Amino acid sequence: MLDLDISLKQRFEQVANEMRLRLKQRPSLDTLRNMISDKGIGTFAKCHRLGKKDLLRIVERGKIVGVDGSTNSSKGHFPYVITLQQAMAKPCSNDESAITITDALSPITMGNFSSEEEYREFVKRNLAGLEVKAAVAAIDEYSPKVILLDGSLVRYKIEAPPLWQKLKSLALAKNIILVGVVEGISTNLISQCLKDDLAEAIHHASDWEILFGLLDVGERLEIAQGLFKEGFRTFFMRSSIDPKPIGIDLLEEQQIYLNEVANLVYTLTPKDGRGIPLWLDIIDKSVRISDKVMEGLLSTYLGEDYIEFIRPKREKREF
Amino acid sequence: MQVVGLTTPHEVYVASKERKFRINELVVIEDPYQGNLIGEVVESNSYNRFIPLSIGSGIHDADVIESLKHLGYSISEDEINIAKVKLLTEANFPIVTGCPVRLPAFDEVRGYLLKGKREDALLLGEIKNTEETAATMEDDLKGLCDMYSRGKLYKTQNVPFFLDLRSFQQYPHIGVFGGSGSGKSFGLRVIMEEIMKHRFPAIMLDPHYEMEFSESQENISTIQDFTQYFKKFQIGEHIGVEFKHLSRKDLLALLSAVSPLTDAMSSAVEELHLHGDTYLSFSDRLELLSEALEKGRGKIEQALKQDLEPMEKDKYKKMKELLEKYQNIPLPSVQGITWRLRRLHNSGLFSHDIKPVKEAMMQGKLVVVQGPIWLLQVFSTYLLSNIYRQRREYKDGELQGQTAQEYFPPFIIATDEAHNFAPKGRDAATKGIITEIAQEGRKYGVFLVLATQRPTLLDETVTAQLNTKIIFRTVRASDIATISEETDIKVEEARRLPYLPSGDAFVSSPLFGRTVAIRVRYPYTRSPHTQNPLDEIQIHRVKSEDKLLEAIKPHLPIYAANFARAVEEINKTSGQHYEVRTLKDALETLVEKGRLKKQSSPLGDIYLESGI
Repeated sequence: MLDLDISLKQRFEQVANEMRLRLKQRPSLDTLRNMISDKGIGTFAKCHRLGKKDLLRIVERGKIVGVDGSTNSSKGHFPYVITLQQAMAKPCSNDESAITITDALSPITMGNFSSEEEYREFVKRNLAGLEVKAAVAAIDEYSPKVILLDGSLVRYKIEAPPLWQKLKSLALAKNIILVGVVEGISTNLISQCLKDDLAEAIHHASDWEILFGLLDVGERLEIAQGLFKEGFRTFFMRSSIDPKPIGIDLLEEQQIYLNEVANLVYTLTPKDGRGIPLWLDIIDKSVRISDKVMEGLLSTYLGEDYIEFIRPKREKREF
Repeated sequence: MQVVGLTTPHEVYVASKERKFRINELVVIEDPYQGNLIGEVVESNSYNRFIPLSIGSGIHDADVIESLKHLGYSISEDEINIAKVKLLTEANFPIVTGCPVRLPAFDEVRGYLLKGKREDALLLGEIKNTEETAATMEDDLKGLCDMYSRGKLYKTQNVPFFLDLRSFQQYPHIGVFGGSGSGKSFGLRVIMEEIMKHRFPAIMLDPHYEMEFSESQENISTIQDFTQYFKKFQIGEHIGVEFKHLSRKDLLALLSAVSPLTDAMSSAVEELHLHGDTYLSFSDRLELLSEALEKGRGKIEQALKQDLEPMEKDKYKKMKELLEKYQNIPLPSVQGITWRLRRLHNSGLFSHDIKPVKEAMMQGKLVVVQGPIWLLQVFSTYLLSNIYRQRREYKDGELQGQTAQEYFPPFIIATDEAHNFAPKGRDAATKGIITEIAQEGRKYGVFLVLATQRPTLLDETVTAQLNTKIIFRTVRASDIATISEETDIKVEEARRLPYLPSGDAFVSSPLFGRTVAIRVRYPYTRSPHTQNPLDEIQIHRVKSEDKLLEAIKPHLPIYAANFARAVEEINKTSGQHYEVRTLKDALETLVEKGRLKKQSSPLGDIYLESGI
């Protein structure tokens, strides 16, 4: 800290203060609550932890499956990049093994990307596709009752439309509840609706910003029907002591299960944790492609000489 | 099970989801290029990647884990077991990562677990953690001994551990190390029982009076009767030293065992002790000389000039002779020798000989020699030198083609507290002979079994000669260091030494070429003093109460006012010596225990039988 440039310090302090100021622009928590209710943005409700009996009743109807994906790209100059992707659907059971779907991509082999951004976008969509595929496979394999997907359901609809349609119709036909668990909320439904009543600085504030610390542990805010993307229902929930809420998406057709889903997610989330159901964290850990694995694969299949070729100079910094 | 991670030609990691590894298990690594390799688990770990050890993030919510269990998933089953495996023989190049690993069938590892022929071996116990392998061994090797663990007695399920008696010719000496309560004494007992089973002549020095083999353990499945196989002698009581047959060297050793001799004393003994001396002649000479030195030449000559009784005169004459003959010997030396000699005599040492010991050994028995430790040192110096010499002379004679020598069998010498008999850094009477046997006993078929709780205090020359070491729980860092230095025990095993359960031991032997983890079998017999002192007190108390009650019963009821007469009567009939005060206390105790009843009356307390 001591050898930091003085002007840098001052500038930093300034920016930090502005950041603090933005949060102060937020009305008091009680006022916010009233505004949300009065404007009909949504309704607050309490979640309950399910007991053994409730859980067994769910299991009777079918398994609970979690779906998550992971992607890892080698470090290198575009287009000398290899991307490894893996999606996993894992039933909540010790006896059954998980379904894993993998893919390896590279701009070199696919050849029609003009920019790195374009490739990145493709990679993102591809992963969403893999995850949906895993979910579809899980329906055949495990006959589940609930599928928890890591991320918003809307994302699948946008990034992998045909596959998503397939999954959706299968789920509706077999009465399997699809649940999207959103860790990083990026919507701004509330600030949009409250625009006139909020200070200008927070006109476009995200929903997590507005809801930070507002919900009690186990409390949720069900966003009124029609406010969210067409065909979906969503609610925000504080599922652990962490003050930052998570988002849960459902199919509009399955909104009758909203209460049940909320309770289930709440039950499966450690109260001291970051608010994500433990089952999804377990899958996340199993599916993740670590840098070490990536390195290992590269050195095995590409060879040290080629690694040297693609390694960017910045990787070789000594300090 | 498969090999994971970085491998070397001598060490690999093996992982398994289904099976937990146990330390010292043998496993077969199926290397596709080098064939099957045998390794031993030296470290065992379990890891659950979903329950990481991180101080900050805390433990998972137990409720959630429970909920997941109801949904059909138990987080604890997602465990990965990892073992560090050392190869028994180094491979030519590193093991292939990913190659399968399995448990061996008995025949694959027979050579590593069993050495020599079963008939020639000492059955010391079981090799730890070999159940699965033991299941595939031939039936006559199964369940050979009883084991005792956590308060339960059971037949062994493991591969038996044999120490080949034949291999003693190559690797003659055994060290048994372990702190108190480590199972060392049990181990020593088992070794001695096995030696008796083979009728191999042996001598056991027993300073603790615990080597008694006539009482069988309770509930044991096989009863072995050793009463004919061993003989117990107490020094001074049954056996001793025949003074006449003592060489000067032996005598010096004996005297210095009482207390070290100064140079002056040693040369005095050399001068004073004559060939063919009996205890009487030698001690007379000493006493007379001592008196003469005290009186001085002048007084003696003066006395001789006076008119003395013939006997008295004779004495003075002798004193004068001695004084002239031994004029250079100082008085303190003579006195020093005298008291040492007297102490030896008082112990009864000179009233017996070692013939009974030799006889028992000729019959292939185990001879247990008991005595207080100082006397045991003195005596064993003489005894061991004597029998070792006899054995050596016989063997040397045989080599030189002389068949006239009287036969004396090979034998084993065993002792606990060996650091007293061959201490490091200081002298002890027995040290010479034990060192000699340690160094060249092998040639003559004389073997040592030395047990100690302080290997660090044992003479290094001796320690170095102990080929086979049985190591029980050891807590002292210095002893662990000594053990690590003197054996092929691995770092991982040395680290476990302070935590070994009683009865578990590592055997380090060149015969096996590695350290074998064993559990010593339950002995057939038990030591006479296994009664807990607390039990002893309680039993004694009940007994003395019974006795008292018996004595006073005919005199009940006893009136407090009339105590004096009651005491008199009781003492008369019972032959005891109660006093009024002690009787009153005793009666009160009995009342407290409910064995008597006390009633108040106008005449004072009345003591009645409790049944009334």
